[in-house]
Amino acid sequence: MNNREHDQHHPLRPNRRTVLKGAVSAAALGSTGGLGALTEAALAQSNLRAQISQIPGIGKGAPTDADWQKVGELCLGPTKANVKEGEFKGVELSFMGLNNQNLHNLLFRGFLKPWEAYTGAKISWIDLAQADYNPRLQQAIATGTVDFDILEMGAPFEGDVCGKGLASEMPEWVKTQIDINDYVDYLKPPVGTWNDKTYRVTIDGDCHNFNYRTDYFSDAGLAKAWKDAGNAGDWGVPKTWQQVQAVTKFLKGKKFKGQNAYGYLDAPKPWGGFGFYFLGSRASAYAKHPDDKAWLFDVDTMKPRINNPAWVRAIQDVIDALPSEPPDQLNADPNTTGFQQFLAGTGSMIPWWGDIGQVAKASDTSVIGDIVGFDILPGSDDVYNAKTGNWDKLASGPNHAPNCAYLGWGVYVMARVNGDEKKHKAAWSAAAHLGGKDLSFWTVLYPSGFQVHRASHFNIDEWVTAGYDRKYITSYLNSQLSSYNHPNRAVEPRIPGIFQYYSIAEDELTKIFAGQVDAQTGANNIAAAWEKLTDQLGREKQIALYKASLGV
Amino acid sequence: MHQSLPAAVNRQQMLASRRMRQASLGRALFLIASALFALVLLVQVLHASGAIAAGFSDWRPVLYAYLVWGIALGIRQVLLRGERGLRALFLLPAVLFTVAVVIFPTVFGFYIASLDWNLSSLEGPRFYGLGNLIGLFHDTYYWNALRNMVFYTLAVSGEYAIAFGLALLLNADISGRKFFRVVFLLPMMLSPVAVSWMIGKSLLEYRFGPAATLARALGWDNPAFFASPWIARFSIEAMDAWVSIPFIMIILLAGLQAMPKEVLEAAKVDGANGWQSFWHVTFPLMLPVSITVLIIRIIFKLKLADIVINVTAGGPGGATDTMSSFIYRVYRDRSNVGYGTGLAMFYLLIIIVLLSLLLRLSHRWTQKVT
Repeated sequence: MNNREHDQHHPLRPNRRTVLKGAVSAAALGSTGGLGALTEAALAQSNLRAQISQIPGIGKGAPTDADWQKVGELCLGPTKANVKEGEFKGVELSFMGLNNQNLHNLLFRGFLKPWEAYTGAKISWIDLAQADYNPRLQQAIATGTVDFDILEMGAPFEGDVCGKGLASEMPEWVKTQIDINDYVDYLKPPVGTWNDKTYRVTIDGDCHNFNYRTDYFSDAGLAKAWKDAGNAGDWGVPKTWQQVQAVTKFLKGKKFKGQNAYGYLDAPKPWGGFGFYFLGSRASAYAKHPDDKAWLFDVDTMKPRINNPAWVRAIQDVIDALPSEPPDQLNADPNTTGFQQFLAGTGSMIPWWGDIGQVAKASDTSVIGDIVGFDILPGSDDVYNAKTGNWDKLASGPNHAPNCAYLGWGVYVMARVNGDEKKHKAAWSAAAHLGGKDLSFWTVLYPSGFQVHRASHFNIDEWVTAGYDRKYITSYLNSQLSSYNHPNRAVEPRIPGIFQYYSIAEDELTKIFAGQVDAQTGANNIAAAWEKLTDQLGREKQIALYKASLGV
Repeated sequence: MHQSLPAAVNRQQMLASRRMRQASLGRALFLIASALFALVLLVQVLHASGAIAAGFSDWRPVLYAYLVWGIALGIRQVLLRGERGLRALFLLPAVLFTVAVVIFPTVFGFYIASLDWNLSSLEGPRFYGLGNLIGLFHDTYYWNALRNMVFYTLAVSGEYAIAFGLALLLNADISGRKFFRVVFLLPMMLSPVAVSWMIGKSLLEYRFGPAATLARALGWDNPAFFASPWIARFSIEAMDAWVSIPFIMIILLAGLQAMPKEVLEAAKVDGANGWQSFWHVTFPLMLPVSITVLIIRIIFKLKLADIVINVTAGGPGGATDTMSSFIYRVYRDRSNVGYGTGLAMFYLLIIIVLLSLLLRLSHRWTQKVT
């Protein structure tokens, strides 16, 4: 175990200090007579979590609507503590969210059915495909036709919604019900807040981790071929982008298990703006300097950094790697690389959100099962310092900068319910039910579109009890937690129109990857288009919001 | 029985006076409805622009006022013009409907095209004049998409040739003719989105697609249908052609069946062989049908979007991008409403000019050939 891996495990491992602190606390509680009651409550919660983790059971097929309803019913406890039976009778709420393959609204329907039966409220649904989501939301905001009371939304849109005063501030009782302090650090304020007001019930945690095939990197034949080819170092999982490039080029033309062997899989095809995150994951180690919170724009001017040497180097890496990737890779978007290639057995390394780890193990759609390992995104031997214009070599070793892309989904209540006390409480109760501590544990165990986002999600024993392999899940959770807690994490800028920036970049990147323009020229074109967009959206306001989103 | 002259005059005077009363009533009604419509519209425009606080929460009352105005216009026609007015009533609803759903949105579209309006902008829309128009002349993506449209439009001639061949085949006395007519029509019944997934993302899929497997068996090592610009362009065109050829074919087949048989028999008697009777008889006689179907097909082709959006997203490097798929990205992914509408309006003008020219040329050519 090297130092970095040790650091990754650190938050999960008990040490002398934490054990003593725990013992002292337990003794104090015991002396006040509270220990018995608390233990009972903790035991009940633990039983509940163990019970829901068996619905339907890891490896026993994909969960169904009946399973979601069962989980929703079992997790109604916190709602019952704050809401009387039938209290919201006559209240009608409109919920807008996604209906894409990662489930989302389909899950919410099942979870909220028992809630509707208990509270008496009725929910109508506005289901949107992922690609329809942004335009629908933007149109509603711009035309003043917000026709929903509860909204499932990603943090990147907070600038558009919370920044314009369209969301309802979270009441204190909701914070208590959902145990908001349980959120992992990177999802705590400023994420979910605007002007120090809390708006978001977090139901997801998003960052790109590094997924690799363990069988490739433990294969003796490949190890020998690697040595024979005169490569430096031992054959193993790459820790830096330089190594990723070397491995990808080395695997070109080789066979593994009777199939063409491939290394890293890039996703050059546009994906409604989301594809830009994948270039971001290649670039973060080059572009995110530990001394600088910004990495996409200069924080004082919004001058794009996309054409600085760090980003151009990442773009050039893609250009250099593509000839060693599958021949049709130019037409691969992240959905292809994740679900049609990596999970289907093609390629050995991809960055993705945590879905890969969930689906690989708990879905019938994966053929790779347990032969996948996880880590934080690779680092770089040097990092670009945008302030000095130099490439720095850090004394601590390679620079790592996990890409906290998208920051996950949340549930928001719209300000339009504020005038109606009953509706306001009902909307927040529904949101709190979906963001409940125990219910969230189920959503991160099974394919749901949502990943770990609470400190309580990192209890490995609970995952093992649910049916996960200890080694597998330890690797998975460590990659997530180490990304979330990384001091040099690259955080999503939650500025209005952020997906417009990404979409414009995708268009230009596809030209670069098709060989029509070189990396620097293409990056300059993106920068020029971004400058134009910033002017259109209002530079001063964008600067202020960018600063707020980075907490500077 | 004869009426006396004074009585007839009296009756005519009464009728004239009644008509005048009716006309006055019609005018008054129409004036009131017009005033009401104008007032509701004015109030709502001022309210929406923030000039006054009073107003309606949405534009629905304006629509109701328009309907009332339309009814008043109809009544006015009848009261003022009698029988002729009654006849006009048959046309009036269609005219009002066209004004509401075609002419008004088009005019409104030109207004939106004159705005700098990004939905994410906190400032909201602002007047931009010809800014969007000037912008599009410097937009390389727009002109790239337009160049691709030239390719796709020219490819219609290939689709037409294949469709004509199939129509001739199905018009001939072959066995299983009825079966083939139905089978050949099937692709047209499929949604282009389904075709995108069934063919573009499954059949032509590089790893497991049957077409790719067949191509490998035939010696093409890396059958990537969407990785290089020209192959991707041809693949998209092939999918669109597969969906659309049946449409051209069925129209041509209808034309062939309506063609007088005597002319062909006369050509045969005169000693014309198969090719000569096709080129000198069938083809010229089919020109009016051909031009109609080609014009319709070109109009459809100029709107090509769904297959491109689903299969290649315009790539690689914009090689398959179409005007509609580009406008779709500008409008939908980037919420750039003003510019997106500007692009669409300019494209509309290009289409109108192009089709007008095409119609005029084809008219002259048809006259010359026939």
